[in-house]
Amino acid sequence: MKSRTRRAHLVAAACLLVLAVYPVINPWQPYPQAVLLLGFLLAVQATSWNIISGYAGYVSLGHSMFLGLGSYTVGILAARWGVNPLWVAPLGGVTATVIAVLIGAVVLRTRGHAFVIITIAMLLAAQIIAVNARDLTRGSDGITLELPFWHRDFQNIPFYYAFLALLVLTVLFSAWIRRTKLGTGLIAIREDEGKAATIGVDTTRFKIVAYAASAFFIGVAGGVYAYYLTFINPVGSFAILGSVTIVLAALTGGRGTLYGPVVGAFLVNLVSEAATVYAGGVQSRVLLFGGALVLVVLFLPKGILPTVEAWWRRRRPAEVAYIEPLAVRERVPQPPEPGDVLLSLRGVSRRFGGLTAVDDVSLDVRQGTITALIGPNGSGKTTLFNLVTGGLPADSGEIWFDGRRVDGLRPWRRCHLGLGRTYQVTRLFKEMTVRENVVAPLADARWRTMVSDAVRGHEAERAGELLDLVGLGRFADQRAGALSYGQQKLVELAQVLMLEPRLILLDEPAGGVNPSLLGRLTDVIRELNARGVTFLVVEHNIPLVLDLCDPVAVLAGGRLIAEGPPGQVREDPAVLEAYLGDDRLPAVR
Amino acid sequence: MAHFVQAIALGLLIGGVYALMASGLTLIFGVMRIINVAQGAFLVLVAMVTWWLWNRTGIDPIVASVVTTPMMFGFGWLSYRLLIARIRGSSPSMSVLLTFGFALVIEGVLNLTAGNKFKSAAPSYFEESFRVGAISLPKAQVFGFAAAAGVLAVLYYVLHRTWTGRAIRAATQNPSGAALVGVSAAGTGALAFAIGSATAGVGGSILSVLYPFFPASHYEWISRLLGIVVLGGLGSLPGAVTGAAILGLAETLTATYGSLGWSTLVFYLVIMAVLLVRPQGLFGARLREDAA
Repeated sequence: MKSRTRRAHLVAAACLLVLAVYPVINPWQPYPQAVLLLGFLLAVQATSWNIISGYAGYVSLGHSMFLGLGSYTVGILAARWGVNPLWVAPLGGVTATVIAVLIGAVVLRTRGHAFVIITIAMLLAAQIIAVNARDLTRGSDGITLELPFWHRDFQNIPFYYAFLALLVLTVLFSAWIRRTKLGTGLIAIREDEGKAATIGVDTTRFKIVAYAASAFFIGVAGGVYAYYLTFINPVGSFAILGSVTIVLAALTGGRGTLYGPVVGAFLVNLVSEAATVYAGGVQSRVLLFGGALVLVVLFLPKGILPTVEAWWRRRRPAEVAYIEPLAVRERVPQPPEPGDVLLSLRGVSRRFGGLTAVDDVSLDVRQGTITALIGPNGSGKTTLFNLVTGGLPADSGEIWFDGRRVDGLRPWRRCHLGLGRTYQVTRLFKEMTVRENVVAPLADARWRTMVSDAVRGHEAERAGELLDLVGLGRFADQRAGALSYGQQKLVELAQVLMLEPRLILLDEPAGGVNPSLLGRLTDVIRELNARGVTFLVVEHNIPLVLDLCDPVAVLAGGRLIAEGPPGQVREDPAVLEAYLGDDRLPAVR
Repeated sequence: MAHFVQAIALGLLIGGVYALMASGLTLIFGVMRIINVAQGAFLVLVAMVTWWLWNRTGIDPIVASVVTTPMMFGFGWLSYRLLIARIRGSSPSMSVLLTFGFALVIEGVLNLTAGNKFKSAAPSYFEESFRVGAISLPKAQVFGFAAAAGVLAVLYYVLHRTWTGRAIRAATQNPSGAALVGVSAAGTGALAFAIGSATAGVGGSILSVLYPFFPASHYEWISRLLGIVVLGGLGSLPGAVTGAAILGLAETLTATYGSLGWSTLVFYLVIMAVLLVRPQGLFGARLREDAA
């Protein structure tokens, strides 16, 4: 695994070296240089696009807008200020970033499909503005820039190096993002956005940052490109076909990988050149790119690099040594004395249409307890969890956590206050490795945390410790989706522990877990509880509940019908009624 | 004042046509959670066929939808079976990319066969108007609106009064539940996609009369239609109708009191403004997404 990434970096460095010396070895060949140069430009765009659409999974179909924005910023400012376009090219990046933040702040607040739609619309809107804001852009006539200041003998070689440098910077930037908690957070959003929010990922901010990050280098490149062309106009600068090539390049090479978009960009660029030479220009290019996009989506959806990697992995699978599961420990730690109220629900209700799933529930969870929440299926337990963690808003009532009212807060804010949860059906990020899953959570909202290293250093060490705690350290580099269900439950617990939460909500921790793993699980829960973590547990395994938890609360039909020590609840007639008999059912004859 | 009433009337007439064009998009999204980016290309394709029929035989372009509607029904059904059905179950973004690629293929084919020039079908009544008091309503717009309203009414009837429609709506709300009671997801998907494409049969014929078009026009149309459904709330038919009316009005009012060049931009500004206040769109339902 490690060596494979290192090998990829080596190959990339070798390619870079060849490209860097190419104009020196072969200086009098303008045509291949121009082809390579356009390849660099497309690679910059595809690599940038990959940050929002590959890592975070939000596809943009209007990304060439940022190239146009960069071009126009530079074209306008260079003429106004009378400076060389290259000096103001970074400002092209600034414009692109600012516009991305503005658009993102409107459409990225929700999940789902609005984003892709708005990206197409904004590309066309930018074209309309460029045509109509004649005072600024000279409309359809376009803007002519000054000619390059260097001697003609140098041809386009300075542009060649400028774009190559931009490409290197973009790839380094993308690699850096992927390594930080920002990067793991983005992948988490792609895999399961709702879950990402409950492990402390401020999904709105992450998406906006990713969109802005995906715009900057394209904007700078747009500025340089305008100087290279020495002429810009609305139709050329905001061309939808540009967006198509970006998408096609990233998709062909491998969406979500570091080098895939670069590889794809060179391929697409070559095919595009071949089409211009042999198949006669723009007319056929629309058909060619469209057809290629359809074929890639249908037959190579993962892209070249991931497909090759999967093939390689199948040929040489990494062995994981089998180790006997650790024996259950003898010593049972003493539970701490119950303290103050940590979580308090006051008259909380939630309706789905005519169904009241949670009906006026008031419940206190005291510090240091392992409180159980039991009840028949459909009694509202999971809905109650969702109300507490913020997956769903409550219709009425108040939720207080650690002396703060939290029912109006977004899920990640509640998480940062110390609320963690696991799910009834595990929701790990299946495409990530086990270790990446455990480092994905964010314990606070600071920007420093967001850009801190995720896969190395302190965080990775802690992830290793937590995986050892649940006994799964040797699976750290496996894909989470490859683990058994019970193991996934334990990984999800380790993931929550990464947050150092004060209260953990466990949704059926024992469901589908085999007895030996179950022993491990109760062990871990007791151990953590002894260290001061409070638990609220939903569970159907009643012997486990009676053994582990105190007090026990019982929900039936959305209402809280009993609460108290396990022994007392077990004898409660209302509880027996709820579980064993129901007078609404027809009598058995 | 007459000026204003005129603009409102025109805006509503245009809104009706937009509503029809957007209805197919919202229907397909509702059932399959697929954004058919090729819907704009479908419209332009039909407009091209209509223009060709009108040019060759002189058949009225709006009447020609009798031919183009079944044609698009079959075309949609085939597209679903050959393309869309292959990626069922993969991430939603793949369907966007697939239909986007499909749109480009249609554009490319039209480029090569029909040429890259603006076309417009102009039947004899094209220049005439109905006069109601001080305002005049162009006949082409009125006929277009009437056809659109008729098709929307039929669509509403099919969705709410027939077994097929109930199956489609059931599959919209709960695909696995619908499958359990005997509604095949693949079958309903193909049907919904075919019906959604068939609406482009009438929509494209109207387009050919009201607007000049060429192969690359589909970008402009798809972003307009997508804007309408985002505004109304993805998957909602009443939302699409409302969104279409609002945007039709916004466009004509800007064209009347501002300039024609900016009217399209106002369209996008309205969408952004609405999303700022109501991210899920006007009629967008917040679905229960907590299932865990």
